[in-house]
Amino acid sequence: MKSANKSASKKALNFLGANSVPIMFILIIAICIPVSGFSTTFLLNEIVTRLCRNAFLILSLLIPIMAGMGLNFGMTLGAMAGEIALIFVTDWQIWGIPGVVLAMILSIPLSIGLGVLCGKILNAAKGREMITSYIISFFMNGLFQLVVLYLMGPVIPIIHNNIKLPRGYGVRNSVDLTRIRKCLDNLLAVNIAGVRIPVLTLLIIVAMCLVIVWFRRTKLGQDMRAVGQDMDVARDAGINVERTRIISIVISTVLAGFGMVIYLQNMGDMATYSSHSQIGMFCIAALLVGGASVDKASIGNVFLGVILFHTLFILAPSAGAKITGNEVIGEYFRVFVSYGVITVALVMYETKKRRAKATLGQQLEMAQQEEGK
Amino acid sequence: MKMRKFLFRALTVALLVAIGAVMMVIGRGHTMYFDNKKLEYNGETYDALRRINVSVNGEQVAKLSAKDRGMATFTGGSLTFDLEVIREKGAESEFYTYTLGVPYGQDGTVVNLIGLLEELPEEAWKSEFVPVATVEEDDEEIITDEFDLTGEGMGE
Repeated sequence: MKSANKSASKKALNFLGANSVPIMFILIIAICIPVSGFSTTFLLNEIVTRLCRNAFLILSLLIPIMAGMGLNFGMTLGAMAGEIALIFVTDWQIWGIPGVVLAMILSIPLSIGLGVLCGKILNAAKGREMITSYIISFFMNGLFQLVVLYLMGPVIPIIHNNIKLPRGYGVRNSVDLTRIRKCLDNLLAVNIAGVRIPVLTLLIIVAMCLVIVWFRRTKLGQDMRAVGQDMDVARDAGINVERTRIISIVISTVLAGFGMVIYLQNMGDMATYSSHSQIGMFCIAALLVGGASVDKASIGNVFLGVILFHTLFILAPSAGAKITGNEVIGEYFRVFVSYGVITVALVMYETKKRRAKATLGQQLEMAQQEEGK
Repeated sequence: MKMRKFLFRALTVALLVAIGAVMMVIGRGHTMYFDNKKLEYNGETYDALRRINVSVNGEQVAKLSAKDRGMATFTGGSLTFDLEVIREKGAESEFYTYTLGVPYGQDGTVVNLIGLLEELPEEAWKSEFVPVATVEEDDEEIITDEFDLTGEGMGE
């Protein structure tokens, strides 16, 4: 009886330890909801909007994690590809769903090119993928600025003056996406008890989830899992490790491009030089809040993460204003939380890895000692 | 095997290009401006009418008195619209339906409804809309804020 109790409490402790981040967020949200004073309908509307806006982007992070490449900060590259595609679509005046579909198609070659480049660099920096992909995103941001700020106009034709800067070249700080705004979200939308459900966007997200589930079972998906578990063993099993890793980054980048198009069609406005810069960070934070780790993430983590993380984003300013009398403190709190979650997750991952290594070392030492006897 | 792979890839690219081309045609947005304004053509003057109501897909998009201009946006190469015309005070309404095509490269097209109703040649009542040149603004300050901490990336 005593041992059964002990094992139950150990299980509960393990569960708490493994899910400490989502549990912490649930507690914070439980405190913030009554303080914020928001109605349930408002809150649900906001959560559904943000879920549809961000879920696809966060799903793009799953495949590199499966391939053992950690959290792909390089998803920013896909976001840039999506943005460039949207600039063209806006300039060519392609409106509505055709505009969104065309932007997705146009983003594919750009995303593939950037993904291959990123994958090759990450192959050269095995074991340091996350920091490398983070720095690549900064490097590519510079290149993005060069293209969008100086080449668009004189080299890459841009017809409309409302997109170009008054000086005649380069793209303005903000590109108006009114003509494609919420075209996916509004089609097939239904209203349930005052909560607007964008059915088509949700169907696209569900379809993507099914594709990921199917992909895991394919030969390539199995190869990625093998590479993610142990690269040397995978190589010995005849898997082309480098190629598999590049493909995982390419898929992630292409999906991030699609995700950015979905994200921006919901927003209806594009901050040309900053929309993409924080997107990787926030998507990664949301995934980690959902209980994912650097080496393990599931579709469930995506949905839980996006709901918890964004609920806090909705609540924090208002709750901050009510508690401290200053809305800005709520803003700082949520920024602090998003970066803090990433830091804690990385520290926990490294600690776990070191512990596992140490345990393995101890076991090896004991085995050697026994052999010596 | 290599041939099959190549064919599969080529077909995928061709399919995407085809879908893209279709999207470019069906999604091309245009604006049509409707004028109820006096028109002079070949030395003759055609006066504006008392009232013209323009509807697209059963929805009224413009209610034009004399000298008014209205507009409708649409995608694709042509627009079908209905006109309800009241030529003078107390006159009965006349109803017409027209389908007008616009060139792919033209963002805006101006249609003088008087010329259209009088069945004048197209050149008399259809022209490209040219936006009025605005005074050159000062150049924008470019904000790239990659170290932004305001949560902008969340779409606040």
